[in-house]
Amino acid sequence: MSSKVLNVALAGNPNCGKTTLFNSLTGSTAYVGNWPGVTVEKREGKYKSKDGLVVDVVDLPGIYSLSPYTPEEVVSRNFILEEHPDVVINVLDATNLERNLYMTTQILEMDVPVVIALNMMDAVENNGMSIDAEAIAKKLGVRVVKISALRNKGLDELMKVASEVAGEKREGKSFWDYGEYASKVDEAIAIYKKEEVTDPLFHAVKALEGDEIEAEKNHLAFEKVKELGVNIDEFEANSADKRYKYITNELAKYRTGAPVQESKKLSISDKIDRVLTNKWAAIPILLVLLWIIFHVTFAGDLLYMHQWFGLELEDYPGFISFTLADGETYTPFAGLFYTADGVNSIGEFFHVLAGDNETGILGLICLGIKQLLLVMGTPDPIVMVIYDGVLNGVAAVVGFVPQILILFLFFSILEDSGYMARVAFVLDRIFRRFGVSGRAFLPMIMGLGCGVPAMVNTRTLNSDKERIKTIRVIPYFTCGAKADILAAVSASVALSFGWNADLFTMGMYVMGFAMAIVVVILMNKTTQREEVPPFIMELPAYHMPQPKAVAIHVWDKGKHFLKKAGTIILISTIVITMMENLTWDWRFIPAFEEAALEEIQALGYASYEAMEASSMLSSLGKVIMPLFTPIGFGTQLNSTGWVFGVSTIQGIVAKENVTGTLTALAGIVGQDIEGLEDGDAVSQMFAATGITAGGIMGFTVFNLLTIPCFASVGTAKGELPTKKSYIGTILFWLLGAYVIASLFYLFTDAVVGNFGLVGGIVIPIVIVALVACTFFAVHFYDKKMRAKEALSA
Amino acid sequence: MPILIAPINQMLTIKRVSGSDKERKHLESLGIVPGRNLTVLKATSNGVIVMVDEMRLAIDCNVAMSIVVAA
Repeated sequence: MSSKVLNVALAGNPNCGKTTLFNSLTGSTAYVGNWPGVTVEKREGKYKSKDGLVVDVVDLPGIYSLSPYTPEEVVSRNFILEEHPDVVINVLDATNLERNLYMTTQILEMDVPVVIALNMMDAVENNGMSIDAEAIAKKLGVRVVKISALRNKGLDELMKVASEVAGEKREGKSFWDYGEYASKVDEAIAIYKKEEVTDPLFHAVKALEGDEIEAEKNHLAFEKVKELGVNIDEFEANSADKRYKYITNELAKYRTGAPVQESKKLSISDKIDRVLTNKWAAIPILLVLLWIIFHVTFAGDLLYMHQWFGLELEDYPGFISFTLADGETYTPFAGLFYTADGVNSIGEFFHVLAGDNETGILGLICLGIKQLLLVMGTPDPIVMVIYDGVLNGVAAVVGFVPQILILFLFFSILEDSGYMARVAFVLDRIFRRFGVSGRAFLPMIMGLGCGVPAMVNTRTLNSDKERIKTIRVIPYFTCGAKADILAAVSASVALSFGWNADLFTMGMYVMGFAMAIVVVILMNKTTQREEVPPFIMELPAYHMPQPKAVAIHVWDKGKHFLKKAGTIILISTIVITMMENLTWDWRFIPAFEEAALEEIQALGYASYEAMEASSMLSSLGKVIMPLFTPIGFGTQLNSTGWVFGVSTIQGIVAKENVTGTLTALAGIVGQDIEGLEDGDAVSQMFAATGITAGGIMGFTVFNLLTIPCFASVGTAKGELPTKKSYIGTILFWLLGAYVIASLFYLFTDAVVGNFGLVGGIVIPIVIVALVACTFFAVHFYDKKMRAKEALSA
Repeated sequence: MPILIAPINQMLTIKRVSGSDKERKHLESLGIVPGRNLTVLKATSNGVIVMVDEMRLAIDCNVAMSIVVAA
């Protein structure tokens, strides 16, 4: 067998450590989380041992049994039956042996060679127990290996055993007592053998259990088995009962010592649960935890020491200061630890440390490039395009990455501790009222990282309608790229309008959550009516977050960002900057300070403004401007106001582009304004374009709620059940965001007084009335439909 | 009695599981099968947390009504 590369599949219950094992074996960095259902797709990797053994390893989604309950579970069953791996490694959580062995009794009914891996043996031994692997192996007729995937113990032996077992012939075997059904089982096997179906025993038993997939895949044989006249419900109940009886009577005795149930570790879990799932305390605790996370990540005034407690500071001066060839002086690390506004949070410290094109580490790199260009005698306009445009845009995206990674670090810690599964449970009752089960919370919270895996994770949900509802609102959970926009905009609104940056950021996150709730309610009452699917979920034991698992999350996210910054963001920033600096007849528009009027007039333009207004981007931007007028950043702005529209359109490709484009354009557009030296480029651009507070609100809300990116559009297409639901989703993302953004625009500007006294009173009243009318209409529609449904039922 | 109103922290025997086929099969694979034991750890209006073997299982109220146990 050594010449052929072995193909090994990992199968087992959810949360039994398959993915941890897979990562340890293959050196991969697949997503691991302490809740059931993290893995929803099969995943492949290569294992190489020191003595030259090479094995293809496939990690399958966790399943509790081979009678699938949700779509991702079908993947596992089909893989084993149809792809015929050389060996199936049945991974068992040894701390919960009996339940895990249930599926083992099903796998062993297939003809495939099987090795049992008793995972988490370290935890079992720590609890003062032991398992007689030899005895179990003898009883079941397959090899059993004790491992600890987390501590890298027994893995080489496991793969060695797997390679020895591969190629051995094994015939499926039942380990439970058929009782009165014995003859019927034999007849069913005979039918399947006659039909030449592989794994006849497995299929025969499944057919007798009335399995849905069996009815579909082996229709002919299934119908013949039906003719045997066995009551499938009774047979099925009997088989489950007998399997467990076999496990309890014949196998459970090989585990000796105190049962885990009474061990100290588990009672700690129960104690924590008493508080965290408490009827009254659970949700306040969740909110406080979220607030702490956001505060520590985004605040520029830690613990409000400046604002509330009167701590007076001056900006931290920074430790380097230098002057470049163009005569400008830079202090890249000013404000690193604290500013006049207060002490920096951890996230803000890392943000300043990373910096932008003139501060922090990125600033050193960008300024280095600028100095090099200046020394080389590069013409000023080109230096400007490269430094103020391209470098500015890319640095803006990358500069926020460390801050966002801090946010992910906190989320990963929560996820890895086992807390998220509890939150899903606690929220189930409320979610149920809205129209989805608490299970939907998990893909939603994943959406805070990235919408793409979040949408894939909806496969763990129970019904198509629940999946549609969840996928549609996943973009409302501000993802990492959008956090980048929020970080950039909030820093600028703090300077321009004096708003509190971390409250603005958190407010926008909360706005997203609130919209998700509203939208789920509306869908559940109109187009996606259904009885909310049941909530049944395993609560994993709490454990200290594992540094390795957390590090994998954070590193993966960082890599993703940097890859994007070097490709799509870099390219679109270059294109945008070039288009902003070229006219349609390929003439280069000089920088404002450099431009002599005669020169410009010689090119055929009346003034500098006229030439700038005829740049490629400017003229295109003006075409699309009216589109954004109702949401606050269209024709009501000055001639340069199209920058917001262009950024928004760029954002539909990838949300990171919004920050990149906005900042790159700010570097060029914003600096044409005289007398605006202070503050960052983006807030200067706010002033240059004359955008109002409401306009910024509309801009932020629209970008947060609309089509997230091309990647998620593609994912949604694959995950949504029908073409109709897919098209509906895209339209919904566009129109929904548009309507909500315009409401936010009007409301904010009315409140801050931009529409005068009358507008300030009338507009909010009209908006509230409109929203109320919509709710009443939907409510009555729901009532009518319910009456109809009751009648037909 | 259904587990929703069953006594807490006491070994109970599962008597009957009703509900749809799909749901019942899922509960079976989780170890909720007539004749086996479970312990209710917590029962609130949020739902029920039960201990089956060494696994904690969170179940919503509707499902909790469909699992009948006896002391």
